[in-house]
Amino acid sequence: MSQQGMLYGGDEIGALVFDPGHHSLRVGYAQEDTPKAEIPAVVGVAPDDSQKMEPEVKVEGSNITQSPSAWKYYIDTTYLHTPRPNMELHSYMKDGMIENWDLFEKVLDYSYEKIIQSESEYHPVLFSESPWNQRQKREKLTELMFEKYKVPAFFLVKNAALAAFANGRSTALVIDSGAIHTSAVPVLDGYVISNAVVKAPLGGDYLILRSREMLESLGVDLTPTPLIANKEIVRDKEKPKYTKKNLSFNPANSWMVYMVKKTVQDFQHSVLQVSETPYDERIAAGVPTVHYEFPTGYHQDFGPERFKLAEGLFDHAMLGAGYLAATSAGMCDVDVRPALYSSVVLTGGNSLVQGFSERLSKDLSSRTPGSMRLKMIAANGTVERRFGAWVGGSILASIGTFQQMWISMQEYQESGKAQIDRKCP
Amino acid sequence: MADVRDIMELEQPATPEITRESIIGSDKLKKRTFTTTKVSRRPEGMHREVFALLYNDNKDAPALFPSDTSNGYKQTKIKLGMRKPRKWEWIPFTNPARTDGAVFYHWRRPSDGPKEYPFAKFNKKIEVPTYTDAIYQQHLQSEDWTKEETDHLMDLAQRFDLRFIIMSDRYDTEKFSKRSVEDLKDRYHKVCGTLAKISGEKKVYHYDADHERRRKEQLKRLYDRTPEQIEEEQSLLNELKKIEARKKERERKTQDLQKLISQADNQGDSLRKSDKKLPKKKLANPARPSRVDTSHILQAVETAGIKFPDYKNSGVSLRSQRMKLPANVGQKKSKGIEQMLQEMELELNPTPTEEICLNFNELRSDMVLHMELKAALATCEFELQSLRHQYEALNPGKSLAIPPQLLSSTTEQDGTKLIGNAEIIDVVGSPGTPSGSGT
Ligand SMILES: Nc1ncnc2c1ncn2[C@@H]1O[C@H](COP(=O)(O)OP(=O)(O)O)[C@@H](O)[C@H]1O
Repeated sequence: MSQQGMLYGGDEIGALVFDPGHHSLRVGYAQEDTPKAEIPAVVGVAPDDSQKMEPEVKVEGSNITQSPSAWKYYIDTTYLHTPRPNMELHSYMKDGMIENWDLFEKVLDYSYEKIIQSESEYHPVLFSESPWNQRQKREKLTELMFEKYKVPAFFLVKNAALAAFANGRSTALVIDSGAIHTSAVPVLDGYVISNAVVKAPLGGDYLILRSREMLESLGVDLTPTPLIANKEIVRDKEKPKYTKKNLSFNPANSWMVYMVKKTVQDFQHSVLQVSETPYDERIAAGVPTVHYEFPTGYHQDFGPERFKLAEGLFDHAMLGAGYLAATSAGMCDVDVRPALYSSVVLTGGNSLVQGFSERLSKDLSSRTPGSMRLKMIAANGTVERRFGAWVGGSILASIGTFQQMWISMQEYQESGKAQIDRKCP
Repeated sequence: MADVRDIMELEQPATPEITRESIIGSDKLKKRTFTTTKVSRRPEGMHREVFALLYNDNKDAPALFPSDTSNGYKQTKIKLGMRKPRKWEWIPFTNPARTDGAVFYHWRRPSDGPKEYPFAKFNKKIEVPTYTDAIYQQHLQSEDWTKEETDHLMDLAQRFDLRFIIMSDRYDTEKFSKRSVEDLKDRYHKVCGTLAKISGEKKVYHYDADHERRRKEQLKRLYDRTPEQIEEEQSLLNELKKIEARKKERERKTQDLQKLISQADNQGDSLRKSDKKLPKKKLANPARPSRVDTSHILQAVETAGIKFPDYKNSGVSLRSQRMKLPANVGQKKSKGIEQMLQEMELELNPTPTEEICLNFNELRSDMVLHMELKAALATCEFELQSLRHQYEALNPGKSLAIPPQLLSSTTEQDGTKLIGNAEIIDVVGSPGTPSGSGT
């Protein structure tokens, strides 16, 4: 070890970091700033008919009863966004945990082959998991990594703890707003206080759902980009003029749903904003409108709707992020509450909705006990915020003192998968 | 500079560790340089500028203008690419902090040679005491803790390095009933204490779970106050502050008044003093007999003593503060007190217990009163005497007989026995009479 390595406490051992989420799986090498890839957490499955060139036969999804080997899997954005006959999209995640192991394995295969481009047996692997991950799933993942991928060493850390590390804290109240839920997780000295984890099913997907409802009620055509051959410039609020791609088949329903979701998601990212105070029609009306053009070429200004839609994240009495945080802190021992309030870490892609952190800070400060200092820590960069947990994992896996924590292949062979509960608290 | 050296990986000049010696040593060094600069003094007649050229004070800042440009950036001395770079290699290593001897790889310079993994030394574990079955049966039995549960507790303590909050979070609530952080701490410390006692440890710490519970309850209540409650408390606090400010203002005013009164007193004193002097100085003139304002004296006597300020205002103060003489007690008086205390062989600053404080202050107040009375008496006697002299001067041949009850038996100050008359005091107001009496 050189002098410098000691100085910064880092020791890179070629580890990989995986951070699975509902929106995407983040993969990359430890000690790097950002993940090498962000792979959508859905997998396209279509019957493998590579023999036929252009499939003309339209087979109903339910009719196919072929053996699994005859399936073809499509992973990552470029493959997914291409319409394919009978390609159904499936998510392998459920409730923050890995549900469909077969699909997940396919994604791991793809990661090693296309992104890491190296053999799995050379790289220790650090996985993140949701704070409420079940024991049996943790063991299954351990088994999978050691048995199938023959990793030399493995470790599992709660993503909230990793997000806290990424923001330079070992004790923090982590507010993670992801695709399907927002959670408040107290972390003490790097350990999650699991009995005080609070979550609400309001996340990016909820915003997308509300936005879609609103857009559909307005009669906006949400045909996604991959289906559009060309479009013409039209005037504001005019009926779009575009021609559809000439497809010989109808894309599967799940694919359409997913692509519409993507379309609305883009709309949501660019237009939605959380107002700093509870939604007020008059105030919202006074704020400049935002212009948005849909893939079809249709475009219009959006005014108060921007705030009204985003308000859904906060206006529920029991589900708003501020309420979650205060409830979670309130469930912890009184002695740690001041420490939690003084470092509230905000992470997760959905926290990037404009005005989210300001509103949360305001909400939370009204719920903070008077004698406590409230400090919100939110990384400024989009990358740091979206990949908070991954970055934390990248840091952790490349720290010299961490290298003794791994469950090594030897240990796995001696004591089996059950030790994960003791080794990775 | 050291940072730069660090970055460049240059050899550090061996800086001695900071010890007492090194500090003292460097002190010496400094002194020596100091004396040498002192020694090289400017010879008489030499111009300051010339001298400065010869002997440069090493505190002088270096010249800002580059004086030598030949060795600038253009002519680097480093010849890049001439020497072979030192190699980094992907080298396997074992970590002594691991128990399994697993081999990982990292980048290292082979030239650094195999060394113990540098981060292994940070592997610190907490020592959780252990016990055998026999010891448990003998000493550690408890009514509401089974051995199994105690084992679980000790295991958690080891795993989470005594982070009791996490321990209670991960407590196996399926097997055992839920327990609070205080319960866990209580049991753990009892076990530790008992084991320590067995092994002969004298000092055993005791954990007061009830106290902790109460403390946390209080904290919880403090944190759970509603905004209205906090506001109310805040407004009450503000009221209190206002009241205190008003009280202070009032106190300040009374103090000012007191000062004025005592000043008036002093003025009265000095008036009297000048009065006293008058007959002495202006003997030739028909000096009027000084007016002895008995009422004034009486009043003075009444208000005399020391007015110790009230220390009943809120806030904390030292009790010894109460024994401090107030500022309006003059130096003369405090000297007098001191002297008397010494005569009585009392301490000047006794330990300020409640009782001593009270009595000591009373005593000193009485002393001052005593002194003032004495002074008043002396004045009166002086008046009496001077009046007698006047009387004798006006009525030559006659002598005034002063009844003995007016004579101060205690006065030994000037050793003279004074004679006076009760009526005289009433007569003092009489118009000035030419007198030729010498005193
Ligand atoms: N710039 C952005 N503005 C608003 N929302 C965003 C932005 N970037 C990502 N999101 C939302 O964040 C969610 C994904 O968050 P993430 O933390 O990756 O979720 P998960 O951990 O569940 O995979 C998505 O719903 C996405 O719409």
